[in-house]
Amino acid sequence: MKLKSLLLGSAIAALGTAAFAEDEYIIGVMSAQSGYLAPYDGPAYAGFKFCMDEKMANGGLNGSIPVRLIVKDTRSDIAYGVQVVQEMLDDGAQFIVSSADADPTIAAAQITAADMVPTMTFAGTAPVLTQVGPHVFGSYPGDNQQGAVLAGYARDQGFEKAWLLTSPDSAYTLGGPRYFGEVFETLGGEVVGESTFSLNQPDFSAIVTNIQNAETAPDVIVTWAWEPDFPAFIRALRGAGVETQVMGGDVLDTPTVRGLGDVVDGVVHTSGGYPEEGSAYAAFIDRFTEATGTTPDNNYYVNGCDIADMIEQAVAAAGTTDPAAVSAAMAEIEDGEATMSNFTFKGTDRMPLREVVVARITGDGEKEFVLRQMADPETLPKP
Amino acid sequence: MDQLLQQLINALSLGGIYAMLALGLAIVFSIVGLINFAHGDIMTFGGYGIFLSMVFGFPPIAALCIGLGAAVVMALAMERTAFRVMRGADVISLLITSFAVSEILKVLFQNGISARPVPISFPAAWSGSYQIGGMTIGVAPTASILVTIVSLGCLTFVLRRLAIGMAMRAAAEDFDMLRMLGVRANRVVAAAFAISGLLAGIAAVIWTAQRGSVDPMMGFFPVLKAFIATVLGGLGSLGGAVLGGFVVGTLEVLTQAFLPDALAPYRDAIVLSAVIAVLLVRPDGLLPARSGARS
Repeated sequence: MKLKSLLLGSAIAALGTAAFAEDEYIIGVMSAQSGYLAPYDGPAYAGFKFCMDEKMANGGLNGSIPVRLIVKDTRSDIAYGVQVVQEMLDDGAQFIVSSADADPTIAAAQITAADMVPTMTFAGTAPVLTQVGPHVFGSYPGDNQQGAVLAGYARDQGFEKAWLLTSPDSAYTLGGPRYFGEVFETLGGEVVGESTFSLNQPDFSAIVTNIQNAETAPDVIVTWAWEPDFPAFIRALRGAGVETQVMGGDVLDTPTVRGLGDVVDGVVHTSGGYPEEGSAYAAFIDRFTEATGTTPDNNYYVNGCDIADMIEQAVAAAGTTDPAAVSAAMAEIEDGEATMSNFTFKGTDRMPLREVVVARITGDGEKEFVLRQMADPETLPKP
Repeated sequence: MDQLLQQLINALSLGGIYAMLALGLAIVFSIVGLINFAHGDIMTFGGYGIFLSMVFGFPPIAALCIGLGAAVVMALAMERTAFRVMRGADVISLLITSFAVSEILKVLFQNGISARPVPISFPAAWSGSYQIGGMTIGVAPTASILVTIVSLGCLTFVLRRLAIGMAMRAAAEDFDMLRMLGVRANRVVAAAFAISGLLAGIAAVIWTAQRGSVDPMMGFFPVLKAFIATVLGGLGSLGGAVLGGFVVGTLEVLTQAFLPDALAPYRDAIVLSAVIAVLLVRPDGLLPARSGARS
């Protein structure tokens, strides 16, 4: 009798657990804790978890759906990342937040395509990443939006001749400057040269010498190079006495780049947002700092928080947590509310249309606001 | 012509760094048969030494000295804790040990300091330039070449004139015979690691001065190139390591500078193909070691 009661009790408990598990919304998070993606995935995950915890404290998504996060380290290894995504799907993940770059997101999206599990990158900005399928989403303003706004700003400042510094090693480092160049030429400017580099290239002096000796001297150099390549390039450039204006993508919006001192004084870059006083972004920084003791010093934190908002709004619009329905609902969101800036997926190829900020680095390690602008979707370069 | 001369200066600057790293690898390999892939992490540690010194308010010159010292200390610590117990093991075991040490250090750097690059802001004058004829030459590459020449000159003096240097050269020829003659093995090996660490430290100083940041992977890529240089020069050959470093640096710079745009993505493949072509003709390297120390 005792044994029967025990079995019955266990069965009821198991059913109860299953019922509760069905009510949970399970989100798998690829977060590189080491390797080249760690500097981006780390802050993005911190912001995402902070805002998800806030939602959980208020009853879950839309105040009613509890969320369970499955967080796994990808070590910045794309092959291992694919394995991690499969494990998360096996564990019931209904939404995947992928690493902050196009290449691991594209790889992850191949795995999530079968069940149309919505897959959103932490901060990948190469527009090609959403071409895998209708279940793949960007979260940050795409490189073509950033390139278009930056090119417009450059032309407004009177720059006429651009030199592009690209790397074919990643969609980001190749695409950003090319989008800039396309719009720059549409607006009457001219691309007078292009140099390529390899990621983690030891030395940029040969490239700088080529720019110095170019037949037509550029008046602006544009690159989407990230760390440690950008610091190496800018030091080599300024070290050779070349004072040409340098512009870059959102990846320059880091304390490391700003900390380089005089050599980055005047460098202009795009960004996803700017924490103006009294803004929702500034309030987020205050809340995050108070709760964690860490002051967000880049946009990846707030964009992580925005991803939590995007998921919440997509689930609300879908009226269900079914992955395919959430994907479809996400793609139809127009002027959704978020902290860094509002976002629109409707009418895009699922890279959200968001405001782009242009900022300028000062020699004392700070950045100053230059402008905030939405790229014109009609004239955006195609991926 | 000016452009070619400028590119040759760039090649000497980069080749010099590779030469010093390759020499550090070759000195250790010639004595204990270890291909130390953690050599790059010694360089990285030196870079973090510079960064932390500047964070704590040391002036730049003092920070550079501390960086040098940190690299030497790290090399000695590595020898004492990881490689001494493995002495006499086969090349593969030593290689795997060095990979393990390298991984452990990278994780410690990532978690103990930062996964992302940290900036080092040197005085503006250090990234200035000057004119010679029609050429604009950077201060940093010039300093890099001068430091390389002085370092290699000093090392040559140590190896050829000082007792410890001669003991190291003898150890490279026949380590067992040296021990039978009463020379303390630990002292010779420790000296080799210290010199190797000093060379990595000098490379770190030049590297950080030119690049402006330090990250956990900072030493990995240059040491990979330095390893190629040691093989090209002749594994175990000190002169070969230096020559290999300059050859690899020159090939990299010239292909970067003069390769047509369509071939630019194949730059590394072309450099490595050239290295393979040389090794097909001279399998023991450009300046082979005289002893039988081969991998």
